[in-house]
Amino acid sequence: MVVFTGLEFLFRFFPAFLAVYYITPKKYRNTALLLGSLVFYAMGEPYYVLLLLVMVWLNYFFAKKIYSCRDTRRGRKCRKDRLVMVLVMDVGLLAVFKLLGVFLGNSILPLGLSFYIFKMISFQADVFRKEMTELPTFKRTAVYFTMFPQIVSGPIMRFHEGSFLMEEREYSWEKLEEGLQYFAAGLGTKVLLADRLAILWKDIHMIGYESISTPLAWLGAGAYSMELYFDFWGYSLMASGICVMLGFPFIKNFDSPYASKSISEFWRRWHMTLGSFFRDYVYIPLGGSRDGMTRTVRNLLAVWLLTGLWHGGSPNFVIWGLVLFLLITIEKLWLGKLFAKFPLAGRCYTLLFIPVTWVLFAVTDLGQLWLYLGRMFPFAGGGIAVNPHDILKYLGMYWHYLLLGVAWCIPAVSGFLKKHRKHPLAVLLTVAVFWISVYCIVSMESNPFAYLKF
Amino acid sequence: MNFIKKCPVFLCLTASGLLLALAGICGRFSIYKEYEFDIVKRPFLALVMEGAAKGTAPWEAAGNLGMGEDEFPGSLLALVQNRDRGQSIRYKDGENALEAFAKKNAAPKDREGSLAAEMEENTKDSGDAAAGQETDETSGKTAEKDDSPGEWEKAAQERSLGEEKTYDFQTVTEDYFNDAAFIGDSRTVGLFEYGGIEERADFYAKISLTIYNVFTEPLARDEETGKKITAEEALTRKQYGKVYLMLGINEMGTGTTETFMEEYKAVVDRIRELQPDAVIFVEGIMKVTGSKDAEDPIFNNKNIEEKNAAIARLADNRNIFYIDVNEAVCDAEGNLNAEYTIDEVHLKAKYYEIWKQFLLEHGIER
Repeated sequence: MVVFTGLEFLFRFFPAFLAVYYITPKKYRNTALLLGSLVFYAMGEPYYVLLLLVMVWLNYFFAKKIYSCRDTRRGRKCRKDRLVMVLVMDVGLLAVFKLLGVFLGNSILPLGLSFYIFKMISFQADVFRKEMTELPTFKRTAVYFTMFPQIVSGPIMRFHEGSFLMEEREYSWEKLEEGLQYFAAGLGTKVLLADRLAILWKDIHMIGYESISTPLAWLGAGAYSMELYFDFWGYSLMASGICVMLGFPFIKNFDSPYASKSISEFWRRWHMTLGSFFRDYVYIPLGGSRDGMTRTVRNLLAVWLLTGLWHGGSPNFVIWGLVLFLLITIEKLWLGKLFAKFPLAGRCYTLLFIPVTWVLFAVTDLGQLWLYLGRMFPFAGGGIAVNPHDILKYLGMYWHYLLLGVAWCIPAVSGFLKKHRKHPLAVLLTVAVFWISVYCIVSMESNPFAYLKF
Repeated sequence: MNFIKKCPVFLCLTASGLLLALAGICGRFSIYKEYEFDIVKRPFLALVMEGAAKGTAPWEAAGNLGMGEDEFPGSLLALVQNRDRGQSIRYKDGENALEAFAKKNAAPKDREGSLAAEMEENTKDSGDAAAGQETDETSGKTAEKDDSPGEWEKAAQERSLGEEKTYDFQTVTEDYFNDAAFIGDSRTVGLFEYGGIEERADFYAKISLTIYNVFTEPLARDEETGKKITAEEALTRKQYGKVYLMLGINEMGTGTTETFMEEYKAVVDRIRELQPDAVIFVEGIMKVTGSKDAEDPIFNNKNIEEKNAAIARLADNRNIFYIDVNEAVCDAEGNLNAEYTIDEVHLKAKYYEIWKQFLLEHGIER
């Protein structure tokens, strides 16, 4: 129900909601969206929806408190105290659940907790910084925190980016069409590319990392890099597409990251709303890069440690965060200037190192992780290729997905389609991608064994 | 009109969605009526998609609308047609239809009960046979213990009454595989890729191969013409000294052990026909790990053991031999050793060596 690629969402919840939303007079559409979002969340989390409601109420309560002392004599101190209180509550809740997740398994985490907490933190900080001329009403704030397209995994929209005032929201057939095209593109990216490439990654897992050949290890790392991208980008396109259909602006979460010329640039173009969240609410408040190199490096370390820990509790995520911190620091200190002169070198370096960092991200068991890295860099030792030509088999099985995937990573390709999206052929392509995706979803749901072929 | 220009995708999707839904509603009571359907969770158009995945085109609904209760379900018809055309019947094809059909024709409960008992006996049989005992003796025991002999049992008795000599397993060298053919699913593909005998033996193996499509799926390349050929064609062209067969895990969700064995017997008979001089090794299906066994309602060791016991019955220890690699790869509890696998179903590459060694220890020289 809460999965955008599920039949229940695609053919039950969403069409029904969209119809109700558009029939509702404009004045009441926020109410419709709030109720729809709560129904959506309650379907996924019948108990934790209460936690969400409590958190929405508490955060609005604190925001009001912070807002109320904006013009008093000791305004800043007063606001700061109250901000610290609410941050301790929000971050504390997130930390408690993340810790529980480490010990009891991630299924204990309420759906989308991180994402609504991040929205709440940014909301409080924006109120604190007086970035809002007036405090929005409770209903608008609640819609912002809970809106269903974004509650599961973002994008982490800022309050000012969304048009929560009725007058600001745009409704038109063109917007509906545009949103639907984004949605279909996202659906295809997720179902037709990410889910297929995931099977390749699973196959490699099955062989046993110690026995794969070095070329296959690299192919696997590349395929996983694409899978992760298409999975999350596809989701983000669907989420933002829904937002556009509901009259909100499009929130960009990915900007062709694999076309970056450095790893720092990659991270400015990957999961952009999370990156900018950490930049605006952790890195810059800590002093950013204003106070000399030592402070900058310290702040980068803080950001990347937090990023690593946020993604998961096992040690590999910490290693992943630290490696990215090291690479980005080296770029900031030395390599950056070099890559500015030789962009091609930068691109190659990015395409070489990012898949390695994704392997650190993907393999949670440290022993297995070393095995895999050992196969990627065989001179470091570890394992032998039982079948040195194994890559041929997998290239033979997956070449079309891999080729399509590489093309879909190139900004010129997606840009071209976006530019000509009104062309009849593009319209047909969108419709075809949508139905082929649905076909894949149905055949997987009605026959899960089809993907468990032995 | 303006409106059409503004949102063609929206209109196309809505229109095609409604059409598909209509087709689904029509088919619900004819060609798709055997499909599981929950109106709250699934849209009608999912039926059309599911039908398409199973090879039933939505327009077939038009012809089948007036079909009576007792007629064949449409999808089963499609399945039979497929088979007649000699096309491959994929595992997912007509899964529900087959199950429904199997349910209709299911044997009475008591028959099943006695079957299970027989199978248990037979596992012992094959174990004893592997240990090198006389087959006459063991099947004699079976007859004594079970006083309601089934038809299979009679067959076994008849077999053992024959005067021909039976053979025992012996250890052989790798040359043994020089005139061997292996037929199987992804596990056998793994043996091909990582067993180190791909230079000696021929492999007719494919991921998701089943007993139903083993002869129809193009899975080998003809060396002269370069065309894809089926295992049946391959076995027609070349004579082998031994043929190894391991199939059965992909069929777990389909039909019963009886329907499976019917087909399995037919395949073995056909191999016998094509390869009159070859030793046929029917291999027990490799089991899954204990944790998979505990949580999977279908791919579990109880179901595998049931099938293996039935496969073991085909052995006559003269021409057809039952070998069970589980003896080599399972732990003390009889589950696939968790160390040997990551996905709980397939061996990790380096452990295919164990399988090869097992095969070398179970050669038959006649």
